[in-house]
Amino acid sequence: MKPLGIVFVVFTLALLAFSTYQALFVAPTEQTMGEVQRIFYYHVPSAWVAGVCFFVNFLASIAYLWRRNLKADALAAASAEVGVVFCTIVLMTGPIWARPVWGIWWTWDARLTTTLVLWLIYVSYLVLRRFAAGSQTQVLAAALGIFGFVDVPIVYMTIRWFRTQHPQPVMGGGESSGLAPEMLHAFLWNLLAFTCVGIVLMAVRYRLQLLENQVEAAHAQRALLGVNQ
Amino acid sequence: MTGIVALKSAYAVTWIAQLLYIWYLVGRYRRVRKELKDLERSR
Repeated sequence: MKPLGIVFVVFTLALLAFSTYQALFVAPTEQTMGEVQRIFYYHVPSAWVAGVCFFVNFLASIAYLWRRNLKADALAAASAEVGVVFCTIVLMTGPIWARPVWGIWWTWDARLTTTLVLWLIYVSYLVLRRFAAGSQTQVLAAALGIFGFVDVPIVYMTIRWFRTQHPQPVMGGGESSGLAPEMLHAFLWNLLAFTCVGIVLMAVRYRLQLLENQVEAAHAQRALLGVNQ
Repeated sequence: MTGIVALKSAYAVTWIAQLLYIWYLVGRYRRVRKELKDLERSR
Protein backbone atom coordinates (compact mmCIF):
# COMPACT_ATOMS: atom_id res chain seq x y z
CA MET A 1 0.00 0.00 0.00
CA LYS A 2 1.25 3.48 -0.88
CA PRO A 3 2.05 5.94 1.97
CA LEU A 4 -0.91 8.15 1.02
CA GLY A 5 -3.17 5.10 1.28
CA ILE A 6 -1.84 4.26 4.75
CA VAL A 7 -2.38 7.86 5.89
CA PHE A 8 -5.96 7.74 4.57
CA VAL A 9 -6.69 4.43 6.36
CA VAL A 10 -5.32 5.83 9.66
CA PHE A 11 -7.37 9.01 9.15
CA THR A 12 -10.49 6.89 8.49
CA LEU A 13 -9.97 4.80 11.65
CA ALA A 14 -9.49 7.93 13.78
CA LEU A 15 -12.58 9.47 12.20
CA LEU A 16 -14.59 6.32 12.89
CA ALA A 17 -13.60 6.34 16.56
CA PHE A 18 -14.49 10.03 16.86
CA SER A 19 -17.81 9.72 15.02
CA THR A 20 -18.83 6.68 17.11
CA TYR A 21 -18.09 8.69 20.25
CA GLN A 22 -20.20 11.54 18.86
CA ALA A 23 -23.10 9.21 18.06
CA LEU A 24 -23.12 7.29 21.34
CA PHE A 25 -22.10 9.90 23.91
CA VAL A 26 -22.35 13.44 22.54
CA ALA A 27 -25.59 13.45 20.53
CA PRO A 28 -28.62 14.03 22.79
CA THR A 29 -31.15 11.26 23.37
CA GLU A 30 -34.19 11.68 21.15
CA GLN A 31 -37.33 12.35 23.21
CA THR A 32 -39.86 10.05 21.50
CA MET A 33 -37.78 6.97 20.61
CA GLY A 34 -35.06 7.18 23.26
CA GLU A 35 -31.68 5.45 22.90
CA VAL A 36 -32.71 3.31 19.91
CA GLN A 37 -32.79 6.45 17.72
CA ARG A 38 -28.97 6.40 17.78
CA ILE A 39 -29.16 3.64 15.13
CA PHE A 40 -29.87 6.59 12.82
CA TYR A 41 -26.16 7.54 12.94
CA TYR A 42 -25.20 4.23 11.33
CA HIS A 43 -28.31 3.38 9.35
CA VAL A 44 -28.50 6.55 7.24
CA PRO A 45 -24.73 6.88 6.50
CA SER A 46 -24.75 3.21 5.40
CA ALA A 47 -27.60 3.97 3.00
CA TRP A 48 -25.69 7.02 1.75
CA VAL A 49 -22.52 4.98 1.08
CA ALA A 50 -24.55 2.28 -0.70
CA GLY A 51 -26.09 4.97 -2.92
CA VAL A 52 -22.68 6.51 -3.67
CA CYS A 53 -21.24 3.08 -4.52
CA PHE A 54 -24.12 2.33 -6.90
CA PHE A 55 -23.63 5.74 -8.52
CA VAL A 56 -19.92 4.96 -9.03
CA ASN A 57 -20.98 1.61 -10.52
CA PHE A 58 -23.37 3.46 -12.85
CA LEU A 59 -20.65 5.85 -14.08
CA ALA A 60 -18.05 3.08 -14.40
CA SER A 61 -20.53 0.92 -16.33
CA ILE A 62 -21.15 3.76 -18.81
CA ALA A 63 -17.38 4.30 -19.11
CA TYR A 64 -16.85 0.59 -19.78
CA LEU A 65 -19.54 0.40 -22.46
CA TRP A 66 -18.19 3.54 -24.09
CA ARG A 67 -14.46 2.79 -24.05
CA ARG A 68 -14.26 -0.95 -23.19
CA ASN A 69 -11.81 0.11 -20.50
CA LEU A 70 -10.96 -2.79 -18.13
CA LYS A 71 -10.14 -0.40 -15.29
CA ALA A 72 -13.66 1.02 -15.52
CA ASP A 73 -15.02 -2.52 -15.38
CA ALA A 74 -12.86 -3.26 -12.31
CA LEU A 75 -14.19 -0.12 -10.62
CA ALA A 76 -17.76 -1.16 -11.47
CA ALA A 77 -17.22 -4.59 -9.90
CA ALA A 78 -15.61 -3.08 -6.79
CA SER A 79 -18.28 -0.45 -6.23
CA ALA A 80 -21.17 -2.88 -6.69
CA GLU A 81 -19.74 -5.29 -4.12
CA VAL A 82 -19.07 -2.59 -1.51
CA GLY A 83 -22.52 -1.13 -2.23
CA VAL A 84 -24.13 -4.50 -1.54
CA VAL A 85 -22.28 -4.73 1.80
CA PHE A 86 -23.63 -1.34 2.92
CA CYS A 87 -27.11 -2.02 1.51
CA THR A 88 -27.12 -5.28 3.54
CA ILE A 89 -26.26 -3.26 6.66
CA VAL A 90 -29.19 -0.92 5.90
CA LEU A 91 -31.58 -3.85 5.46
CA MET A 92 -30.43 -5.42 8.73
CA THR A 93 -30.25 -2.33 10.95
CA GLY A 94 -33.62 -1.03 9.67
CA PRO A 95 -35.71 -3.95 11.02
CA ILE A 96 -33.72 -3.91 14.30
CA TRP A 97 -34.71 -0.25 14.66
CA ALA A 98 -38.29 -0.90 13.50
CA ARG A 99 -39.08 -3.67 16.01
CA PRO A 100 -39.05 -1.54 19.20
CA VAL A 101 -40.41 1.58 17.47
CA TRP A 102 -43.11 0.22 15.11
CA GLY A 103 -43.70 -3.11 16.86
CA ILE A 104 -42.89 -5.02 13.65
CA TRP A 105 -39.69 -6.14 11.95
CA TRP A 106 -40.80 -5.49 8.40
CA THR A 107 -43.63 -4.07 6.33
CA TRP A 108 -44.03 -3.96 2.57
CA ASP A 109 -44.10 -0.19 2.29
CA ALA A 110 -42.61 1.68 -0.65
CA ARG A 111 -39.24 2.62 0.96
CA LEU A 112 -38.50 -0.81 2.41
CA THR A 113 -39.64 -2.72 -0.68
CA THR A 114 -37.69 -0.60 -3.18
CA THR A 115 -34.58 -0.91 -0.97
CA LEU A 116 -34.95 -4.70 -0.96
CA VAL A 117 -35.39 -4.63 -4.76
CA LEU A 118 -32.24 -2.48 -5.01
CA TRP A 119 -30.29 -5.04 -2.96
CA LEU A 120 -31.63 -7.88 -5.16
CA ILE A 121 -30.63 -6.03 -8.35
CA TYR A 122 -27.01 -5.63 -7.22
CA VAL A 123 -26.80 -9.13 -5.75
CA SER A 124 -27.92 -10.41 -9.17
CA TYR A 125 -25.25 -8.15 -10.71
CA LEU A 126 -22.59 -9.85 -8.56
CA VAL A 127 -24.01 -13.33 -9.30
CA LEU A 128 -23.92 -12.51 -13.02
CA ARG A 129 -20.27 -11.45 -12.83
CA ARG A 130 -19.34 -14.50 -10.78
CA PHE A 131 -21.08 -17.25 -12.74
CA ALA A 132 -21.69 -16.06 -16.33
CA ALA A 133 -19.13 -17.37 -18.78
CA GLY A 134 -18.06 -15.82 -22.06
CA SER A 135 -16.77 -12.58 -23.43
CA GLN A 136 -20.06 -10.71 -23.05
CA THR A 137 -20.26 -11.01 -19.25
CA GLN A 138 -18.78 -7.56 -18.62
CA VAL A 139 -21.08 -5.95 -21.20
CA LEU A 140 -24.16 -7.60 -19.65
CA ALA A 141 -23.01 -6.57 -16.17
CA ALA A 142 -22.51 -2.96 -17.34
CA ALA A 143 -26.00 -2.90 -18.86
CA LEU A 144 -27.47 -4.26 -15.61
CA GLY A 145 -25.48 -1.68 -13.63
CA ILE A 146 -26.88 1.18 -15.73
CA PHE A 147 -30.52 0.07 -15.64
CA GLY A 148 -30.29 -1.14 -12.05
CA PHE A 149 -29.26 2.33 -10.93
CA VAL A 150 -32.73 3.61 -11.90
CA ASP A 151 -33.93 2.18 -8.57
CA VAL A 152 -31.60 4.44 -6.50
CA PRO A 153 -33.48 7.73 -7.10
CA ILE A 154 -36.76 5.81 -6.73
CA VAL A 155 -35.65 4.60 -3.27
CA TYR A 156 -34.68 8.17 -2.37
CA MET A 157 -37.99 9.64 -3.54
CA THR A 158 -40.38 7.00 -2.12
CA ILE A 159 -40.82 8.79 1.21
CA ARG A 160 -41.62 11.98 -0.69
CA TRP A 161 -43.99 10.37 -3.20
CA PHE A 162 -45.87 8.00 -0.89
CA ARG A 163 -47.16 7.97 2.67
CA THR A 164 -45.02 5.23 4.16
CA GLN A 165 -44.49 3.50 7.48
CA HIS A 166 -40.87 4.66 7.10
CA PRO A 167 -40.39 8.18 8.56
CA GLN A 168 -40.65 11.18 6.25
CA PRO A 169 -37.36 12.92 5.28
CA VAL A 170 -35.38 14.13 8.31
CA MET A 171 -33.49 16.62 6.17
CA GLY A 172 -34.57 18.37 2.99
CA GLY A 173 -38.18 17.45 3.63
CA GLY A 174 -39.65 20.91 4.06
CA GLU A 175 -40.14 23.24 7.00
CA SER A 176 -41.17 20.54 9.49
CA SER A 177 -37.99 18.50 8.90
CA GLY A 178 -34.57 19.06 10.45
CA LEU A 179 -32.22 17.90 13.19
CA ALA A 180 -31.11 19.53 16.45
CA PRO A 181 -27.61 21.05 15.96
CA GLU A 182 -25.87 18.45 18.22
CA MET A 183 -27.62 15.64 16.37
CA LEU A 184 -26.70 17.17 13.02
CA HIS A 185 -23.00 17.39 14.01
CA ALA A 186 -22.93 13.73 15.11
CA PHE A 187 -24.73 12.72 11.94
CA LEU A 188 -22.35 14.65 9.64
CA TRP A 189 -19.28 13.18 11.38
CA ASN A 190 -20.68 9.68 10.87
CA LEU A 191 -21.59 10.46 7.28
CA LEU A 192 -17.99 11.54 6.63
CA ALA A 193 -16.51 8.53 8.46
CA PHE A 194 -18.70 6.03 6.61
CA THR A 195 -17.92 7.71 3.28
CA CYS A 196 -14.20 7.29 4.03
CA VAL A 197 -14.74 3.61 4.94
CA GLY A 198 -16.59 3.15 1.65
CA ILE A 199 -13.73 4.78 -0.28
CA VAL A 200 -11.11 2.57 1.46
CA LEU A 201 -13.09 -0.62 0.80
CA MET A 202 -13.71 0.34 -2.83
CA ALA A 203 -10.01 1.12 -3.35
CA VAL A 204 -8.92 -2.22 -1.86
CA ARG A 205 -11.54 -4.14 -3.84
CA TYR A 206 -10.55 -2.29 -7.05
CA ARG A 207 -6.90 -3.22 -6.56
CA LEU A 208 -7.93 -6.83 -5.96
CA GLN A 209 -9.99 -6.86 -9.16
CA LEU A 210 -6.98 -5.59 -11.15
CA LEU A 211 -4.83 -8.39 -9.68
CA GLU A 212 -7.50 -10.96 -10.55
CA ASN A 213 -7.61 -9.61 -14.11
CA GLN A 214 -3.82 -10.00 -14.23
CA VAL A 215 -4.07 -13.65 -13.12
CA GLU A 216 -6.83 -14.32 -15.65
CA ALA A 217 -4.74 -12.77 -18.44
CA ALA A 218 -1.72 -14.88 -17.44
CA HIS A 219 -3.84 -18.06 -17.51
CA ALA A 220 -5.23 -17.11 -20.92
CA GLN A 221 -1.71 -16.47 -22.24
CA ARG A 222 -0.50 -19.85 -20.96
CA ALA A 223 -3.49 -21.61 -22.50
CA LEU A 224 -2.76 -19.90 -25.82
CA LEU A 225 0.92 -20.87 -25.71
CA GLY A 226 -0.08 -24.45 -24.83
CA VAL A 227 -2.34 -24.59 -27.89
CA ASN A 228 0.37 -23.20 -30.20
CA GLN A 229 3.08 -25.61 -29.05
CA MET B 1 -36.75 -6.07 22.10
CA THR B 2 -35.89 -3.02 24.22
CA GLY B 3 -34.33 0.10 22.75
CA ILE B 4 -30.88 -0.40 24.23
CA VAL B 5 -30.72 -4.06 23.05
CA ALA B 6 -31.79 -2.94 19.57
CA LEU B 7 -29.13 -0.21 19.57
CA LYS B 8 -26.37 -2.62 20.59
CA SER B 9 -27.58 -5.24 18.08
CA ALA B 10 -27.62 -2.72 15.22
CA TYR B 11 -24.12 -1.48 16.05
CA ALA B 12 -22.86 -5.07 16.29
CA VAL B 13 -24.45 -5.96 12.94
CA THR B 14 -22.86 -2.90 11.29
CA TRP B 15 -19.35 -3.69 12.51
CA ILE B 16 -19.54 -7.46 12.10
CA ALA B 17 -20.72 -7.05 8.49
CA GLN B 18 -17.82 -4.71 7.69
CA LEU B 19 -15.24 -6.84 9.50
CA LEU B 20 -16.47 -10.00 7.73
CA TYR B 21 -16.15 -8.23 4.41
CA ILE B 22 -12.60 -7.08 5.21
CA TRP B 23 -11.73 -10.65 6.28
CA TYR B 24 -13.18 -11.94 2.98
CA LEU B 25 -11.15 -9.37 1.00
CA VAL B 26 -7.91 -10.26 2.81
CA GLY B 27 -8.47 -13.98 2.15
CA ARG B 28 -9.19 -13.36 -1.52
CA TYR B 29 -6.18 -11.04 -1.80
CA ARG B 30 -3.87 -13.71 -0.33
CA ARG B 31 -5.18 -16.34 -2.76
CA VAL B 32 -4.63 -14.07 -5.77
CA ARG B 33 -1.10 -13.09 -4.64
CA LYS B 34 -0.21 -16.77 -4.19
CA GLU B 35 -1.60 -17.62 -7.62
CA LEU B 36 0.39 -14.77 -9.20
CA LYS B 37 3.59 -15.99 -7.52
CA ASP B 38 2.94 -19.57 -8.68
CA LEU B 39 2.42 -18.32 -12.22
CA GLU B 40 5.67 -16.32 -12.14
CA ARG B 41 7.58 -19.30 -10.74
CA SER B 42 6.30 -21.68 -13.41
CA ARG B 43 7.43 -19.40 -16.28
